[in-house]
Amino acid sequence: MTQLTRRHTLKGAAAIGAVTIIGDTLGSTRRAAAATEITAVEWGGDVVNAMKQIEAKQNQVKVNWVLHQGGSGAILPKIKASWPHPEYDYVSGWEGSFNGMVKEDWLVPVSVETVPNLADIPQKIIVKNAKGEWAAVPRAIGGIYCAYRKDTSPVEVKSLDDLFDTRLKGKICWPGPTQAMMLPLVALALHAGGNEHNMDPGWALMKKLAQSGNIGRIGVTDTDFSTSLTSGETSVGFYSEPQLTAVAKSFPVVRLTKQAGMPTFLYQSGFAILKNRPNLTATLAFVNHCISPEMSSLYAQVAGEAPLNVKAKTPEALKHLSFTPEEMNKYVYFPDFNEVLSQQDAWTKRWESEIAPLL
Amino acid sequence: MPQGRPVKRAYPALLLPGAAVYLGFFFLPLAGLFRESFRQFTPGGVGSAANAPFTLANYSELLTPSFAEFFLETMRISLLASLTGLLFAFPLAYWLARRLSPGWRATAVGFFVTLMFLSVLVRTYALELTLGAAGPLRPILLGVGIFPNGRGYIELLVAGGLLHYIVPMATLTLLATIQNVDPRLFDAAQNLGAPGWKAHLTITLPLCARGLLAAFLFSFTFSISAFVIPMILGKGRVLFISNLIYNRFSEVADYPSGAAISIVLFAVALTIVYVTSRQLHRRSMP
Repeated sequence: MTQLTRRHTLKGAAAIGAVTIIGDTLGSTRRAAAATEITAVEWGGDVVNAMKQIEAKQNQVKVNWVLHQGGSGAILPKIKASWPHPEYDYVSGWEGSFNGMVKEDWLVPVSVETVPNLADIPQKIIVKNAKGEWAAVPRAIGGIYCAYRKDTSPVEVKSLDDLFDTRLKGKICWPGPTQAMMLPLVALALHAGGNEHNMDPGWALMKKLAQSGNIGRIGVTDTDFSTSLTSGETSVGFYSEPQLTAVAKSFPVVRLTKQAGMPTFLYQSGFAILKNRPNLTATLAFVNHCISPEMSSLYAQVAGEAPLNVKAKTPEALKHLSFTPEEMNKYVYFPDFNEVLSQQDAWTKRWESEIAPLL
Repeated sequence: MPQGRPVKRAYPALLLPGAAVYLGFFFLPLAGLFRESFRQFTPGGVGSAANAPFTLANYSELLTPSFAEFFLETMRISLLASLTGLLFAFPLAYWLARRLSPGWRATAVGFFVTLMFLSVLVRTYALELTLGAAGPLRPILLGVGIFPNGRGYIELLVAGGLLHYIVPMATLTLLATIQNVDPRLFDAAQNLGAPGWKAHLTITLPLCARGLLAAFLFSFTFSISAFVIPMILGKGRVLFISNLIYNRFSEVADYPSGAAISIVLFAVALTIVYVTSRQLHRRSMP
């Protein structure tokens, strides 16, 4: 009979340990070969839910999801702090944040060669850098417009003048100065005879609205808005699509996208792919997967932004963002985004000095 | 000790690790912030450009009545919350120190410490859901004529949120102070004919003055730098200076302006702490 000695026991344990380590390493290598890991910054709520479902439909890339905290611009200081070694492979955003990233030269130019599904996206909407190269990949289109909860609003809002109705005391959730690119303020300017280049009429109307007592909450984050309307704290708002979609899932919401005198703004949401990251090929492949017709339709259904891929299906619930050419001319306003974006700092400071004290 | 052999003093060496931490994580970043506050910001960029010229514009734009209002509002609500916090905390701390048995005192201290470990975010949202405009108290508030979306109510809600954090912190600070006051002094005052309230006013409070100042300063500096509480409970209408700083840095990426506001807030807070401490020191000198 073999005698079990301490030497035998130690040899056996070492052998088992070695087998385990080798096996685990091989397993990790296999797992790593199967899926490349990338880090992506996304919006929370239904948007990241949609993106997770899109991720699950492929197995080449595994995504570490990081959520935006605050407005789209909140991620920019984090990228700057770590530049030229950013921690993210792509950052979801829109015209506002794309512009900042393009100016800092952080973005990888994209093309039909690197992201083939861009061939099915209207080229006019694609953000370009100073060299005229495509700088971001659009995935969907959303709206910024006025809407109200039909079941709790004491007023059937049909015009911006209705916002001053005394029955709406404390019932309006208005976006704060860092939300929605202050386009609701541009809407007030348009209503009062101005525009994004002449904002004084808008500021005058905004002061009047602030003094009216009808603003119950100033939304400083996306969830502020959806929570405020969902909880019944407020009933009327001028905000962007995913938040209004979130409220409309549970409550009847009247969306004033095709109401005369109520301008609707359209924005694109999409992907900004950052330079100096090790997994560029995988990131481009994943982004290409996201804007395919099937995934664009899925995204539209879950996140509530209309697809930009011309081959994708627009859900019935988003028909309010589908415009004929005549409707586009009548209801949709396309501001000079260069002016809007360059004025964000000045408008924010003007809000703090002229509007905030009145609220 | 053997004669002729010098005593080695290791004290300066013991200070080195702490000094290194303060230098690296406090003074140097503050110096960077101070420098940034004098740089010019070009809209559309992220922070100041590498070759941005120096300017005083970031400070001159703060010399407006509206900006002063933000400071005053922050100071006013913070002061209200801090003083109210002391009003609650001192009797609570006195009761803990004098009335509870050691076992129950330890339990109560454990409770307050646990309270402080609870997430500020969770507590703030709990207040918002309970006392907010859509909470269960809404009918009662409307019944007594309080409009839950009114400015005055929102300010009270923000102060209440600050109080939620201040009371446990101030109580624990004052507990140690009160325990160091000899209870026989109070007994002696009463034996000499002083009523209880007078004994407290002339004996307990003066002896606890330094502890009260410490608790006040903890509470006040916490309040003026509070960010989450005014952001959630303030409904975007009651803004603290910290919220403005956040907007500058995170939303519009105007680092120079954010840095200027931060430096001003820092200077104001330091001044208040210095003046208050000096006043108390003068009064406590014979």
